[in-house]
Amino acid sequence: MAKIEFLDVHKSFGSAKVIENLNLTLEDGKFNVLVGPSGCGKTTLLRMIAGIGPATKGQILLDGEDVSNIPPGKRGVAMVFQSYAIYPMMTVRQNIEFGLKNNRVPKAERERRISEVSQVVGLAPYLGRKPSQLSGGQRQRVALARAMVKEPKVFLMDEPLSNLDAKLRGAMRSELVQLHKQLKTTFVYVTHDQVEAMAMGDCIILMDQGKIMQQSDPETMYRDPNNIFAAQFIGTPPTNIVEIGSENFKLGFRPETIILSANAGPDRAFTRRVKIMTREMLGAETFYKLCLEDGQEAMARLTNSSLAEGDTLYLQVDEDNLYFFDAKGNRVRKTGSQHYDAMVERVKRSHES
Amino acid sequence: MHSKYTGFKLRRLAVSGISFTFKLFMLVLFLFPFYWMIVTSFKTYGGSIVFPPTLLPHTFTLEAFEQVFTRLNLWNYLKNSVIVTVAVIVIQTLIGVPAAYAFSRYSFKGRGIMLALVMAAFMVPTQITFITVYIMMSKLRWLNTLLPQIVPFGASAYGIFLLRQAFMQVPTDIIEAARLDNAGEIKIMTRIMLPAAKSSLMTVTLFSFVGSWNSYFWPLVMSNAEKVRPLTLAIERLKDQDAGINWPVIMAGNMIMVLPVLLIFLLMSNKIISSMGYRGIK
Ligand SMILES: Nc1ncnc2c1ncn2[C@@H]1O[C@H](COP(=O)(O)OP(=O)(O)OP(=O)(O)O)[C@@H](O)[C@H]1O
Ligand SMILES: [Mg+2]
Repeated sequence: MAKIEFLDVHKSFGSAKVIENLNLTLEDGKFNVLVGPSGCGKTTLLRMIAGIGPATKGQILLDGEDVSNIPPGKRGVAMVFQSYAIYPMMTVRQNIEFGLKNNRVPKAERERRISEVSQVVGLAPYLGRKPSQLSGGQRQRVALARAMVKEPKVFLMDEPLSNLDAKLRGAMRSELVQLHKQLKTTFVYVTHDQVEAMAMGDCIILMDQGKIMQQSDPETMYRDPNNIFAAQFIGTPPTNIVEIGSENFKLGFRPETIILSANAGPDRAFTRRVKIMTREMLGAETFYKLCLEDGQEAMARLTNSSLAEGDTLYLQVDEDNLYFFDAKGNRVRKTGSQHYDAMVERVKRSHES
Repeated sequence: MHSKYTGFKLRRLAVSGISFTFKLFMLVLFLFPFYWMIVTSFKTYGGSIVFPPTLLPHTFTLEAFEQVFTRLNLWNYLKNSVIVTVAVIVIQTLIGVPAAYAFSRYSFKGRGIMLALVMAAFMVPTQITFITVYIMMSKLRWLNTLLPQIVPFGASAYGIFLLRQAFMQVPTDIIEAARLDNAGEIKIMTRIMLPAAKSSLMTVTLFSFVGSWNSYFWPLVMSNAEKVRPLTLAIERLKDQDAGINWPVIMAGNMIMVLPVLLIFLLMSNKIISSMGYRGIK
């Protein structure tokens, strides 16, 4: 078990600065999920923890100890690679055993751990096979078993499920969560899939272009985003962002908080006349694309599927469901801003004018 | 329409016929000298000079082989050839594998220049370097040892280059995974890189083997005593011992010379062909 800390970490490839001035703490024993769009630096971050792509500047601490000068194999971390990176010329057993042998684990102990791990991941019947004789899902399990068998302090996983089909992915997801509950070690799990992040993480670290946009538990990530990026990255369809006349702030609201009705209720903070442009019926819920009178667009996600394209209605959102963002895209909260009430007033009035 | 198809069929037949004839021709062209060598080595001296020559020996005899052994101290030459060839292969592997690994996976100062030097060495023919090397060897007083036939070939530019290419095919992730598995560099080389480069390693070893086993010019220049001369030079000596050239004896000597090469090619032909095909060498 280990706490992981990044202190003023920089990483560049040649002249390209990928990460600048990163400060981040990953708590001991948590299922941490690193999520963000492709190319934002997730793999780079994992590689720094593992020691296979060292930081250009700054310190990385494992349990308070600077690991900059500790070689990758001695850090007590195990990694599941995006590509699995299993050794193609070794059998499944040899793959799992390789790290143990290198760490001089005695033979009896090796046997015990290998049989235990292969039971857990369901590889016991395949120990004698070569990786080329395995399915994608089985290879993924080899990669997992190879990491688990080392009983690491930190488990790094780089999009381990991205090559699996939807069904297997779902099953592996819950298995990994289960595994974390058993092992109680620190997990750092990378994904670019927000659904996966929300479903699996205790703690989500949302990244964009090498910066941490928000670090919080899934619930907070969804209910209380720090900025437009976080509000839009989490949730399907993404949070609607609209401008209010010539105001210097922006308004956000989630598609599922929209109330559509023929008559506007009097007590709602945000009201607009809208026309339904498209309708996508997805079973339990229906997505509607709406066009506001000033030409801005919004998505609604409702259980009501009886509305039709071309209908003209009122869109309303309650004050509690509104997010205010400043010109830079950062959240302006009720607590800590003296302008908040004034902004709500201006939004309310904006409909009447 | 009927005639059109017949034409097509005829043309295809003609093409395959020509192709077959051509292949047969090539086969004969390559195999006949071999055949001639084998047959001649089993002939008597008289049988070898009859005119017109016969395709099979009139009397089958091992006389020529006996003569090779009696005329020469064959074991001495054979021993030299084996020692030189084995030593060259072992040293080339011990030097070439780590060098290729370093060139393929490490970035260090002067890597580009060093690789260029290796490539340059690959292109310089021995005819240009042998005088300088000879002088060096003579100053070292090595000419009455096997060392001049071994040491200059300790590193094979061709081998380093080919292995480097093969090592570069190994995904970086796999090497990094091995580092995370606490494998040292030697272990990564032997357990991860070499198995992945098996076919290239075999190609390189084979070329070294043939090159070293068959080398004639270099040992001729670099030796000053019979006791350090290889088989190739001994076979040559079979020629000038008699007034008339005794072809069966020379061919018997050549048989002894090519037998190991032939055996290896026969035993490993499948693997050799697949490794060459894989490299794109035709
Ligand atoms: N070896 C490298 N040399 C140069 N640039 C690199 C290198 N590795 C990564 N980068 C750059 O660093 C940035 C972050 O890359 P990284 O692999 O960490 O992204 P990621 O978040 O893992 O993306 P993905 O979800 O696609 O895997 C990218 O812009 C990438 O182009
Ligand atoms: Mg990545």
